[in-house]
Amino acid sequence: MFVTEMMKTDLVAVNPETKLSEARSLMMEGDFRHLPVVDAEGKLVGIVTDRDMRDAHPSSLLDEESYQKTLDKVMQHTISEIMTAEPITVAPYYTLQDTLLIIGKKKVGALPVVDEEGQLKGIMSTRDLLRAFVNIMGIEEPGTLLCILVNEEPGQLKKIVDIAYEENVSLGSVLVARDWDTEKRAIFPYLLTNNVMSIKKKLLALGFELLDPMQWYLDQSPKKE
Amino acid sequence: MGKTGFVFDERYLQHQTFNGHPECAKRLTAIMDGLAGDGLLDDLVKIAAKPANQRWIETVHNIHYIMKFEEACLWGLPDFEHQDNSICRESYETALLAVGGVLKAIDAVMNDEVKNAFCAVRPPGHHAEANQAMGFCYFNNVAIGARYLQKQYDIEKVCIIDFDVHHGNGTQHIFDTDNSVFYYSIHEHPSFAYPGTGREFETGFSSGEGFTKNSPVLPGRGDEEYREKLLSDLVPAFKEFAPEAVLLSAGFDAHENDLMSGTNLSTEGYDFVNDTIFDLVRASTGGRVVSVLEGGYDLQILPVLVANHIRKLMAI
Repeated sequence: MFVTEMMKTDLVAVNPETKLSEARSLMMEGDFRHLPVVDAEGKLVGIVTDRDMRDAHPSSLLDEESYQKTLDKVMQHTISEIMTAEPITVAPYYTLQDTLLIIGKKKVGALPVVDEEGQLKGIMSTRDLLRAFVNIMGIEEPGTLLCILVNEEPGQLKKIVDIAYEENVSLGSVLVARDWDTEKRAIFPYLLTNNVMSIKKKLLALGFELLDPMQWYLDQSPKKE
Repeated sequence: MGKTGFVFDERYLQHQTFNGHPECAKRLTAIMDGLAGDGLLDDLVKIAAKPANQRWIETVHNIHYIMKFEEACLWGLPDFEHQDNSICRESYETALLAVGGVLKAIDAVMNDEVKNAFCAVRPPGHHAEANQAMGFCYFNNVAIGARYLQKQYDIEKVCIIDFDVHHGNGTQHIFDTDNSVFYYSIHEHPSFAYPGTGREFETGFSSGEGFTKNSPVLPGRGDEEYREKLLSDLVPAFKEFAPEAVLLSAGFDAHENDLMSGTNLSTEGYDFVNDTIFDLVRASTGGRVVSVLEGGYDLQILPVLVANHIRKLMAI
């Protein structure tokens, strides 16, 4: 999955000369945490976060009059003074996995997506990543999660998929986890059905063990000595 | 001790699902055989079912959806909207009769012919959305029953308690913004079980905010968590809402023998569910309650659990 499929493209951008007051109301109206800054040609030159904006605000401990006075003054400054210039960006061909790792490693909340000419194409935020995961895991589609313990040997997943196929059931997703026993794997197929009775019967008939997910969870949790 | 009504009709067997489908006609024959064997059947007041008038179906379901379902049956299609929803030519008529059975039971209770009633109907209803069939359900029997109570009998506040192991997404969504119907459901946690809704933070919207309550139960935790959550979640919410009538979505698929779920509720656990609910009903609506069959797929344990449930109903 490439970032172009998940990123936000209906962007609101500002330019370096935009006043803080204007940027502030744009962020508040659109509930944005990041505003890309572009030049006249649409090239990305920086990014402003809600954190940058907060840092520019006067202290909330000031009395109301001095707060308002300082705020009015601050809000006349331009974006170029508080933005992060040359922010970390990704290219449109970056994958979901790439962005996950970069966001984690660089500790940023959003990544502007720019093409080879430096043109801003979109923004990929942690919110977009979360949405992508809800989608990938099929969480919002009705289904049933099975927990199957299998031996660590090739062909186990095929048998499970064959049974789902025989029963005409679609798979929402499949997760495979290492089990506590090195000889075993736990397989979690998310089946898009309420009808799991005959699938379970067939799995048991083939000798698979259906796990109690809570038992699995407890066995996986770090043990207190 | 008042009388308990009982709805069953041979025609409920005519909704035939594909071979090996868990929601099969044998579920009802197993229940009937069990009740006859226990001698319970003779103590119940038989209530005759009649197909529901379409205007009652329309209080919950979109007219286009109703016609689409009828058409799918007339065409002889194998399923409706998802392969889970296996149908035959008689499914539409049977679904109308299931709703009609519930409405007749409500009539009998409201006219004091019986004190309470159990409806052994199929197809089940609680997954059915206003315009979508889901999880073996086509018309939402209980939701239509709630609207019937309100429109036909001027009942203002209806409480629906759903103890099927699956969350009743249809019922919840139908009354999402409605503060006159309180929906409570206890079910296997949606990360593990169909249909993937019914999390604790789903509490209703706008004017219905706070009139939906969900108690998800983790796999394998049936007996502990049903006790805990019925007492902490259902009891206080029910008392605060103070309903005038109660409908039950009675599912018997949370049992440890039932392969459709992983909650592992025991037979005694089900007794606790019955006792807790019927204590509330006794204190609030003077014992007036209509219980409607939803799931329950293990043909050995299902009749036992239904018989236990009915015995407790009779003792209210």
